[in-house]
Amino acid sequence: MENDSGLISTQNQWNFSEMKIQTKDHHRLWLVIFTMTACFNSYGQTAQQAMASRSDLWWAPGEDRPLPAYIEYANDYGRVGLLNASGTIITDGHPFFEPLGSNGRGCVTCHQPSDAMSISVPTIQQRWQDTHGADPLFAAIDGKDCPNLPQGEEESHSLLLKRGLFRVALPWPPKNAEAEFDIEVVRDPTGCNTDPVYGLDGERHEISVYRRPRPAINLRYVSSSSFGVSPFIGKTGMLATLDPDTGRPVNMNMMADARDVTLKQQAQSAAHGHMEVAQPLTPAQLSRIQEFELQLYGAQAWSNGGGALNEPGGPSGIGPQAMANGSDGVLGNNTTRYVFPMENKWADLPEGSSEEEASRNAFLESVQRGHDNFFYRTFWIKDATHINTVGLGNPIKRTCATCHGMHMTGMDTANGWMDLGTTNYPWALEPPESPWSQEAPEMPLFKVSCRADLPPHAFLGRTIYTQDPGRALISGKCEDVGAIVIQQFRGLSARAPYFSNGSAANLRELVDFYDRRFNIRYTEQEKTDLVNFLSIL
Amino acid sequence: MKPTIKTLISLSLASAAGSLIAAPDPGERISFVSCPIVRDTVSVPCWLSDYDGDTYYLTIQSDVSATVQPPLLGHQVLVEGVVTDEPAICGGIVMEDVHLTAMPELDANCNTMLPVDERYVIDFNPRPPGPSAGRLAFDPAPGTPRVEPPPPEGPQTFDIYFDFDKGISFRHPRFLQQIFTTAGKLKPSRMTVTGVRGAHLLSNGTLLQEAQNTGRRRAEEVAGLLQDAGIEVNTDIKWIDARAEADGIDDWQSRRVTVTLTP
Repeated sequence: MENDSGLISTQNQWNFSEMKIQTKDHHRLWLVIFTMTACFNSYGQTAQQAMASRSDLWWAPGEDRPLPAYIEYANDYGRVGLLNASGTIITDGHPFFEPLGSNGRGCVTCHQPSDAMSISVPTIQQRWQDTHGADPLFAAIDGKDCPNLPQGEEESHSLLLKRGLFRVALPWPPKNAEAEFDIEVVRDPTGCNTDPVYGLDGERHEISVYRRPRPAINLRYVSSSSFGVSPFIGKTGMLATLDPDTGRPVNMNMMADARDVTLKQQAQSAAHGHMEVAQPLTPAQLSRIQEFELQLYGAQAWSNGGGALNEPGGPSGIGPQAMANGSDGVLGNNTTRYVFPMENKWADLPEGSSEEEASRNAFLESVQRGHDNFFYRTFWIKDATHINTVGLGNPIKRTCATCHGMHMTGMDTANGWMDLGTTNYPWALEPPESPWSQEAPEMPLFKVSCRADLPPHAFLGRTIYTQDPGRALISGKCEDVGAIVIQQFRGLSARAPYFSNGSAANLRELVDFYDRRFNIRYTEQEKTDLVNFLSIL
Repeated sequence: MKPTIKTLISLSLASAAGSLIAAPDPGERISFVSCPIVRDTVSVPCWLSDYDGDTYYLTIQSDVSATVQPPLLGHQVLVEGVVTDEPAICGGIVMEDVHLTAMPELDANCNTMLPVDERYVIDFNPRPPGPSAGRLAFDPAPGTPRVEPPPPEGPQTFDIYFDFDKGISFRHPRFLQQIFTTAGKLKPSRMTVTGVRGAHLLSNGTLLQEAQNTGRRRAEEVAGLLQDAGIEVNTDIKWIDARAEADGIDDWQSRRVTVTLTP
């Protein structure tokens, strides 16, 4: 989608002048270069210059260019904005941006500014083309389907190139819990789970699952534990993990399986598991990473259909500045705070005096309808563990915001892993198996057999087939099989594909999954409205 | 309260004559296992269950603060309650002192969802099916003064009740937290945790028992959680897993763990 209209911002706080460079990238036809001449009044910044050229789009670790106080990057739906609340980040020597790992990676390798601090499949594919697979992004430890495959061949990196999935190798049985189930490998297209070294019964006693990197923006919200967090997890009664620095329970909402629960833990774990650092990160490095992550905000800032998303007088919950201003640890599934406050600002807009204005207003009205659908449109939520099993009943007639209830992010305020069926049979994305299908399964498949002397999984019984057991690989609980921590909604347009296993290639597929899973029977208009709404977050 | 003669007669007749028995009279205790049914309404859904030719109203959908929380389709539900003469809700006989627990094994027959029927209107729902007005439905109203319990003195005993055959779940965090908080104030020298395997006498005369090691499993789980949370005192872990008897009166209380903190 071209991004070619009205790009000069008229916001109070920032003035942009811009030019566009056409690239060969089909997914990013236009790259927007901003020269920021404004003052960032709210943060006391002086004039900044943010240059983004095609070669700048990829942020390699070790570059010493600064990350401006504010910068925008183009995506299919418009532009995502990143806002450093503390001002320009000097990346030279910064542990988030330096290649600390023995494999040449830094944190930034998989948390790219252009992709809302996650990494999208188009970016991965572009990087493959640009480096012929030699970039540290494709490191053997997790950038290949299995470390023992030939390096640099596309087939060896298929899950990363096709679905943006990195290998996550976890010990089995779990280190700190008693397993209530056994696991067998049913299907192993990557070869890793049956490998004599890396396999489930191999020398390392690991299970390999494949997951998307989560966006490292708005982590003040993600790591907030000021609502619904106590020593005993509200949904299960189990003990919440404690922050080793404070000794206090935390919301455990940072990672797909909640195995690391603080920013420092995650950084240390990633340094070891993804960057292959020789020595653990120092306390000073961890503090600096945490400090950076807690002041970084991101959200879609410009919509191809709707124009500037953070203009004065617009919805208070939209745009990167709103993320910097908002309150964390607040439940938003109510009519006092809202998940994404919009104040009906885009309802019943005038027809517009020009075709362009009419088109823009029609788009914004669609966004408003998508919001209202997300917030008010009821459907039956059925057989979803950790939502239908927490005292609400099965099924419940509720809305999207029931689960996606955290103010400003759409995450869960409390400890938020659930099984929607993204990785578990029968709902997980699987190719059709038939004599006429040429499509080969990409994901591993495991058979989970829960112990007969314990109650079965509430909806799947004692035999469960799954592509990724999720939280259960950490907790050992049968009821946690396939349960994945809800992630934030911000910057979605910049970081496809979606779900922890990358099974929704785009926003429409994401909406279609819910439609199919919960038999919602959205109309085409409702789906369009929801996609438009999600695209501007 | 013990079973009335009428109840006992009903029990024996129920087993012999089944559907010939008329609906129970107000005040009668009733206990049965059956499939739950969810009926949609224009607001929140209500929950029902058929037993012995009658339909009983169980509860409505609200939120996690509800005192009676809805059951699960896909599972049978064990129902305990006392019949009232209140007007029917959603077409079901209204009970008081209702206790519901989902039976753990799956039952694909329990899958009945009924559409909206204009005859049935829920006009007392404390929370709509969408977003709330800002607080949980059954939480105290804003401004309600919080009454702090007096400092604990002497041994403190807590009963925690469980779903049938189940261990710790969503029902328990606030009770575990209460024990944890009390321990912090009392500074106990000893903790005793006793798990009990429960049993139910159903209205049809059937004695329903939990799985054999349930008492031990519960005691070990609760003791482990409290110890790991930081109650690091000498702990006696006990259990009662012998064949349990039941009398049909508040049998839900038999599925429990008792924790005693001794200074």
